[in-house]
Amino acid sequence: MRQVRGDDYAEFAAARAGHLYRSACLLTGGDTHLAEDLVQETLGRLYVRWYRVSRVGNPAGYAQTVLTRTFLAHQRRRSSRERATDEFPDLPDPRAADTDTPLRLTLVEALGRLSAKDRAVVVLRYWEDRSVEETAEAMNVSSAAVRTRCTRALARLRLLLGDALGEHARH
Amino acid sequence: MPVDNHDHDHQDRFEERLGEALHQAGGAYETDRRALVAAGETRGHRLLLRRRAAVVAGVASVALVGLGGALLVPGGDDGRQSVATGAKTPVASATPKASYTGDELIGILEKLLPRGEFSSPQARGTDDRLPPYAQVVHDDGKGKAAVAVGFDRVLPGSEQARQTVECPDKVLTPYDGCVVSRLSDGSALRIFQGYEYPDRRADTKLWTADLVTPKGQHVSVSEWNAAAEKGAPVSRAEPPLSPARLRTLATAAAWLGVVDAIPVDPKAPTAAPAQPSGIDGGAIASTLVSLLPKGVKVVARSGPDSGYAYVVVDDGKGRSLVQINVQPNMSDVEDQLFGAGAETLADGTKVVTHKEPGEKGGAGVVMWTADTLRTDGFRVVVSAFNSGSQETAATRDAPALTTKQLRAIALSAKWRGLG
Repeated sequence: MRQVRGDDYAEFAAARAGHLYRSACLLTGGDTHLAEDLVQETLGRLYVRWYRVSRVGNPAGYAQTVLTRTFLAHQRRRSSRERATDEFPDLPDPRAADTDTPLRLTLVEALGRLSAKDRAVVVLRYWEDRSVEETAEAMNVSSAAVRTRCTRALARLRLLLGDALGEHARH
Repeated sequence: MPVDNHDHDHQDRFEERLGEALHQAGGAYETDRRALVAAGETRGHRLLLRRRAAVVAGVASVALVGLGGALLVPGGDDGRQSVATGAKTPVASATPKASYTGDELIGILEKLLPRGEFSSPQARGTDDRLPPYAQVVHDDGKGKAAVAVGFDRVLPGSEQARQTVECPDKVLTPYDGCVVSRLSDGSALRIFQGYEYPDRRADTKLWTADLVTPKGQHVSVSEWNAAAEKGAPVSRAEPPLSPARLRTLATAAAWLGVVDAIPVDPKAPTAAPAQPSGIDGGAIASTLVSLLPKGVKVVARSGPDSGYAYVVVDDGKGRSLVQINVQPNMSDVEDQLFGAGAETLADGTKVVTHKEPGEKGGAGVVMWTADTLRTDGFRVVVSAFNSGSQETAATRDAPALTTKQLRAIALSAKWRGLG
């Protein structure tokens, strides 16, 4: 059976790739290599299922869900954790635009110190602006589990970031 | 939203600032999108080919279409899907139990709530892939309020079970009240009176009752002083059910039957691991150090991160990062981790070693790994790098440990002492 994966897939992928990549960078705690890998995998899966995906109301939301689950599956399987390093990199990623670099590094470093699932909750709730229930669906867990993780992650970020966030957000 | 620059507000606006900061930080990442899209399409082609091959081989590749964003669950990175409802087995035969439809759950909830008008019912029954819940908008004459009840299981004695009925640190999460009580049957009940947005960007109050029984049944009741969790104006000063009524609703006998009707995931662990929150990273690091070959000096080591540790060693030829993960209950990904090249020891332990490029882009970094899985799902995986970090360039030709040495470390009986 031939499935139509024509222009609309290409259009969708081109329109969403940038956002998915940025989400993936946050999910991975700034690991841009892994982020690219996850987005490629996500787009690949969407390509395979495009016939059906294109018929759901919100393919962009679906793509984000696939990305989140791909990330969590990867984290579970992998042999090491991100930030498995004896020192944090002190140079900004040359491929990132040269704006707000200190904030990005501070925040992304703090994100990198959360567990993968806690990070996914933070990204879905505060970057994707999803509700608790939507976050729970994307992560395949209960709403209560999302709330618990969210509370814990916010407390940790608050400790890690201190006043840094306030100063930057005011710019 | 009003902007308030007073100092005291800084604390309360944390979530809002986090959202803004995430958008600034995320927005700064740029890449070659065309290359990304092209690579994605290439992967899609590859997945299709593989899937077709699988179909030809007689393996049914079933894609279930559900609703919203929850359809077509991606499985492993080989393009397989964990098939939605088929992934769960029926309830264990020793304890046959009914299932509940979403409508039935709404019926029970409405019956247990005080008299009033009900509208906007939403629910998911116990046969769905996602945890069941029911939510209604209840109006007792004093204003519409959303009331929801959700169900799932937690592993008795686990970190999750503990956290579910623990009051958060009030300094970090402002709230008006939180009481944890122990019931006569050993269940723990937390009544929490807080806010939908802990930073109080809106005045929506969220009061919850979480019941966790000794068997791990978890009933979670939530109520708001608005007709919806988010995006609806506050309709009354407080949610409709007092803490005492919340307690009565959460502990209603009917709910435990609902939790029991959730199909048991055969792959879910049935007992908490000996170290519920994961094995202490400090102990892992100490054990790793004790297993290192002689002549290797430890120059840095990780802190108490659960389940994971690293050390940086120097054998006189430069720094070498050695990292380790100790993970219970990993049987479900055995097939993905231990493929054709894996070795099976006499006791059933699977072992595989890899030599591959580093994952983080440090120039010339290689990663040598020994991955082991005991028959009960206890995984120890240890990797060594030819650099002190994965993100900095290689500082030596090869890692300080050979794959044989890594294998010996991963297979040490000492790890069992930790788990």
